[in-house]
Amino acid sequence: MTYAQTRIAISLAATAAVLAAPALCPEARAASVAAGTLIENTASASFSAGGTTRTVDSNTVTVKVDELLDVALASKDSAPVSIAGGSAVLAYQLTNTGNGPEAFHLTANPAVSGNPFTAVVTAIAWDSNGNGVYDAGIDTVLASGTATPSIDQDKALTVFVVVTGPGGMTDAQTSKVNLAARAVTGSGTPGTAFAGKGQGGGDAVVGASGADADADGVLVASVATVALVKSATIADPFGGSQPVPGASVTYTLVATIGGSGAIGDLRLTDVIPAGTSYTAGTLRLDAATLSDAADGDAGKASASGIDVLVGTAAAGSTHTVTFNVTIQ
Amino acid sequence: MNRHLPASLSALAFSLALSVAASAAEPVSLKGDVQVERTVTANGTTKTVLAPPTTVVPGDRLLFTTRYSNDGDKPVDSFVVTNPLPAPVRLAAEEAGYEVSVDGGRTFGRLAALTVADAAGVRRAAQLEDVTHIRWTLAHLAPRASGALEYHAVVR
Repeated sequence: MTYAQTRIAISLAATAAVLAAPALCPEARAASVAAGTLIENTASASFSAGGTTRTVDSNTVTVKVDELLDVALASKDSAPVSIAGGSAVLAYQLTNTGNGPEAFHLTANPAVSGNPFTAVVTAIAWDSNGNGVYDAGIDTVLASGTATPSIDQDKALTVFVVVTGPGGMTDAQTSKVNLAARAVTGSGTPGTAFAGKGQGGGDAVVGASGADADADGVLVASVATVALVKSATIADPFGGSQPVPGASVTYTLVATIGGSGAIGDLRLTDVIPAGTSYTAGTLRLDAATLSDAADGDAGKASASGIDVLVGTAAAGSTHTVTFNVTIQ
Repeated sequence: MNRHLPASLSALAFSLALSVAASAAEPVSLKGDVQVERTVTANGTTKTVLAPPTTVVPGDRLLFTTRYSNDGDKPVDSFVVTNPLPAPVRLAAEEAGYEVSVDGGRTFGRLAALTVADAAGVRRAAQLEDVTHIRWTLAHLAPRASGALEYHAVVR
């Protein structure tokens, strides 16, 4: 809401406030007074009696503001986070919307209804170095059952859920990971009070959020696929294409990388068919000649077969290996 | 006070003096109280009840009451009760019977007639949250007259 809208809402709420549960009024959301604050009220009167003006004060009534337990949680990722076979990090913003310092328990659930795949949660951490990015080994990992550090009123903490992708993901599938936070002091039905548990020894009262909140982070599977097609062309010694002894067969292996992301350590191997022999010096990767020896280049070939290590192959690329054999 | 008077007489004289002084200086007394409004639902009916402010959180509605009485045997005139609003609360609604101030108690009026300056110095219509003081004006208090002045406020 804008400032002006807030004020309109307040005056409307005030008109009908008798029916609203006071602790749940939305106007309590904006910059609440801190738990422990004293509300002190004193009236004074002036009057004239016997021709002189006098003043008198009332006693001062004092009310101590108790702690309101409220929390908000939101995903900080502007787009689904890509996940391949390795790990991925989802970021969330945890905001203490109550009026006193409070710590929160966090629970990550990767099995959200409708998920096509279920990621594996490996860690929940908070951004202890405050740079907004997960730094493995630096940001503090919350051990199971451990709460976040205490967060001051209206302050936020960035928390991370580290997951790994399961096998069997299909490229571009999206799955959610739900993170839930609840106040350590207590949560539940709004209005529930925890006597003496509030900041400064007062009570703690569950606010409109129920003192718990949850948010979904979204993962998108980034899975590269390989389609391999093998073809052969024959050149016989007579200028034709008959598979006769002495004919040369050129085998072509085409690997097409689909999906998204990349394939690591793509390796293409083939055996030399029985009844044929490898033609030395004919091994090529993407039209570049590879030596037959196992040496510095990507391939090797021998009487038994060929072996080409393409390496990392990005989605959308194709890699072609050719070699020749002679029919015996 | 004469230190040679017997103790009992001295005490009597002292208490007489106190009583005279009190009645002369304070013919009117003010007694403040505060309660919190609670919404109670019973048998499907929702009603608002007043409770002691044992647990109060932001958003709660408080009822501040100031009871006045003219304890003297003479009338008083120009009886004006001023109540600075505690900073942690804002006025819940403008109720009949009092005027409000949005300038620290220098001027009073109905809220709709008041303006405040925003950060840029531009005047805008005053809102409930701008109210700093409330003032009740009673022209005349008869001897033994008493009553209660109330306002509702919401914990910020």
